[in-house]
Amino acid sequence: MRFVHLVTFSAVLLAVCALTAQTECSDSPIFTIRAEAGHFTPSQLEVAANQPFTVRVTSAEKTPIEFESFELRRERVVRPGETISVNMPPLGPGTYKFFDDFHRDTPEGAIVVK
Amino acid sequence: MAARWPAAAAILIVALQLMPVHRSNPPATADLSAPPEISSMLRDACYDCHSNHTRWPWYSAIAPVSWIVYRDVAEGRRRLNFSDWDAYASDPGTARRKLTQIADLVIAGKMAPWYYRALHPRARLDPAQRRIIARWAATQAQGAGR
Repeated sequence: MRFVHLVTFSAVLLAVCALTAQTECSDSPIFTIRAEAGHFTPSQLEVAANQPFTVRVTSAEKTPIEFESFELRRERVVRPGETISVNMPPLGPGTYKFFDDFHRDTPEGAIVVK
Repeated sequence: MAARWPAAAAILIVALQLMPVHRSNPPATADLSAPPEISSMLRDACYDCHSNHTRWPWYSAIAPVSWIVYRDVAEGRRRLNFSDWDAYASDPGTARRKLTQIADLVIAGKMAPWYYRALHPRARLDPAQRRIIARWAATQAQGAGR
């Protein structure tokens, strides 16, 4: 009887662990950037190292922008009024620049990983 | 006086060689997976500037041409590096964008650039080859998600 209880407890524990791990994975941090009037706001994001995250980019510009980062290997077109989600992998500490490739006069932004 | 110009030019060219460029091929993490026919055309026409499998020509060791070749390869790899494809693919929207650009630029004849094609006969894709690459890239882009 004691053995049955042990097995049941272990199974419940495993299920809770699996559920928790799944929740953490789907709960990766989300950061928001807005492109408006020729600027990214905020122009700098601070994120934790070695942890995947998502950047949501919204454009309030009148023409499409291209959110691009050579270091991050990311390139996405954002149409006026559109919001896109950009998946980011776990990153090592450092500064990763991003820019609007359609409007090179827009000041660059950076993702600072600490 | 005029006889000194060739000597001066020779000295200048020798001096330029003291500023070499670092011609490197970093390890490829994950190349784009494509059917053999497509892969072969991409390697011939694109990989010298857009991958870590650059075939550095002999003249890329001689300044000042080496500086131009190095700049083209560095810029090409920054814009699109087939050897880093897994990194693009980890964001489906980015993979889709890259593939769409490949289709657009190849069908428009903008890639490979004319000056590269002039020196590399294997990079001269005919219209049928361009259509094959563009069709494949466009199809892949549709499957890459938004």
